[in-house]
Amino acid sequence: MSLDAIPIQVVHTTPPGEPGLTGNAPPLLRELLEQVERLLETGVPSAIDLSALPLTPADMDWLRNALGPGEIDVTLDANGESTLSETGCPGVWWITHRNEQGAVTSQFLEVTFVPELVKAHPQDVAMGRETLERLLADL
Amino acid sequence: MTDLQFLTWTRGPGLDLAVAVFLLGVLWRLIEIYTLGRKKDLAAPRHAPGASGLHTVFRRSLPPPGMLKRSPVSYIGGYVFHIGLAIIVFLGAPHVLLIKNLVGVSWPTLPSQFIGLTAVVTMAAMVLMLADRINKPVKRFLSTFEDWFTWAVTFLPVLTGWMATQHLLLPYTQMLALHILSAEILLVVLPFSKLFHGFTLFGSRWYNGRVNAHKGVPV
Amino acid sequence: MQGPLIDTLARQGVTRRTFLKYCATLASMMALPPAAGRAMAEAMAAVRRPSVIWLPFQECTGCTESITRSHSPTIEGMIFDMISLDYQETLMAAAGHQAEEARQNAMKANAGKYLLIVDGSIPLGQNGAYSCIGGRSNVDILKEAAGGAAAVIAVGTCASYGGIPKANPNPTGAVPVSDIVKDKPIVNIPGCPPIPVVMTGVLAHYLTFGSLPELDDKGRPKSFFGETIHDRCYRRPFYDQGKFAKTFDDEGARRGWCLFELGCKGPVTHNACATVKWNGGTSWPVESGHGCLGCSEPDFWDGGGFYKALSAPADPLKFAAAASVVGAAVGVGVSFANRAKKNKAKATHETITVADLEK
Repeated sequence: MSLDAIPIQVVHTTPPGEPGLTGNAPPLLRELLEQVERLLETGVPSAIDLSALPLTPADMDWLRNALGPGEIDVTLDANGESTLSETGCPGVWWITHRNEQGAVTSQFLEVTFVPELVKAHPQDVAMGRETLERLLADL
Repeated sequence: MTDLQFLTWTRGPGLDLAVAVFLLGVLWRLIEIYTLGRKKDLAAPRHAPGASGLHTVFRRSLPPPGMLKRSPVSYIGGYVFHIGLAIIVFLGAPHVLLIKNLVGVSWPTLPSQFIGLTAVVTMAAMVLMLADRINKPVKRFLSTFEDWFTWAVTFLPVLTGWMATQHLLLPYTQMLALHILSAEILLVVLPFSKLFHGFTLFGSRWYNGRVNAHKGVPV
Repeated sequence: MQGPLIDTLARQGVTRRTFLKYCATLASMMALPPAAGRAMAEAMAAVRRPSVIWLPFQECTGCTESITRSHSPTIEGMIFDMISLDYQETLMAAAGHQAEEARQNAMKANAGKYLLIVDGSIPLGQNGAYSCIGGRSNVDILKEAAGGAAAVIAVGTCASYGGIPKANPNPTGAVPVSDIVKDKPIVNIPGCPPIPVVMTGVLAHYLTFGSLPELDDKGRPKSFFGETIHDRCYRRPFYDQGKFAKTFDDEGARRGWCLFELGCKGPVTHNACATVKWNGGTSWPVESGHGCLGCSEPDFWDGGGFYKALSAPADPLKFAAAASVVGAAVGVGVSFANRAKKNKAKATHETITVADLEK
């Protein structure tokens, strides 16, 4: 029996007139504005946890389009790929963490000059110093 | 008893009992009332324009001249909450689903936000009418325990249903269970109280209209 | 492996950024503010490993499966690297008397400090004979093990609320952990099975803050069980618009409309499926087109049918027909009584004449 005999058709495309937008995304822009203002005034970074909000894929696309592409994309290869991309609004970073299978595990909008994850930790830098010292000693 | 057990009881045995008492009471009272019979009026019937059972059924839905001004709260409030209740009960999605499950027929429903808004308006009208009943000395004097009781029994399902959907005061599961329980109390009380007017209203209007029409009086 | 955790992880090739990333995701799933991820990473990097004893009772091993086969074993495994799992029948190499000995040793060595994880319900019928390990009943073993535990974590709906074994008519007399252990803090992590990250999240919380997370009135961590499936469901807007799938293969189902009418228990179920999802964030029951069964709620098995809408009757009406007949009969009876009364009144009616009145 071929699969065509099954009378159920899966609709993959979004039906016209129903883009799947819930209207939950636009208010986030207001929250981002407040966070950007806080960053400018006090230098305190903040973040929005996108995976904790009821956003449909269409909402996410809308938000991404609204913020636009930025100049910097950082790729972190740590137990699956993570991307940290600055959006068209400098200081607003779209951070996507993926696992080794490539599935998204969490997504954040971080409002900061540079995301913490990009900076090297002093202890790691110290380890780097040891490596350099060892290299020099071996010369 | 956990929340879910409480809810399951109200959806199961509780509903079963309430519907049983409701059906028993409604059939009992309808049969009793309509088999009472009346003596045949042997007088020659008179005719007058606008005097018939059907006329009275409709005419009594409108306030008599001047009455709207004298007690606007009773008329406008009464209309608002009766229509509101009808919209909530017969056009709310979960309610239609219940009706479909019980009797097998269903029809389109209204969005939940609209039902929520209707509930607020309905409750406002009912509270206003209660305040009017307390404030007006004559109304207060005429009110018996049954009046206060039936008001509460009608009000509670609306309140609990609205609070459940708005997530107020109690967790949804408990509030939903209370909502169903309050509706079941309403079902049990309805056949044996003045709330039975839902069934007898048009019949008695027709009867009054008919008797008086025979005498040539439009009422 | 007694040094700070970060060194242990580094030896296994786990970098700090990997760990930070994991903590950020974990914090997100625990509904902690995004900044908490960093605090967690710092605290956890420095902790030492607590001893954990895992007791399986009347269960199906689904909970263990859920956790050990979670999407990214290395990541979830990190948490297991942070603890010293001293007894877990399914995972441990030892068997028979050796295994029981390992448990006794761990209980003695860490008395008052170890964490006790329990999955499965505890049968009390026939003096607990329905489920025994090494000739001892579950209830016996639990009482002994709980005595020296710092806290008990009940994993799965069976351990938390009795679950399927306790479902009507409960042939084994199954009870949850909380019915037996009264003097120790208990965290319930219900679900059939529970979401892996909820369990690791609770462990992470214990490791980070040295305490158990805030619990709701059913003993569940509020961070994962604080909201209902319905509140966080991506199909919620369709519920509000009154758009429902009526069958599993109609237009509404294909368009992904709300599954309320198909019996979804999302509105009364507290769990994190809608946000955390399953299988590495691939999907979750509602996203795959099936309503929520309510598996993380007490007595979900007896909740009136998985495919009956919450507003629909849980059972078919039993008394309706009988009540209608009785009602009609009473009505007819009363009607005859009324007639009889009227006829009697008519029969005993005496005509009064003017003469009578003048008497």
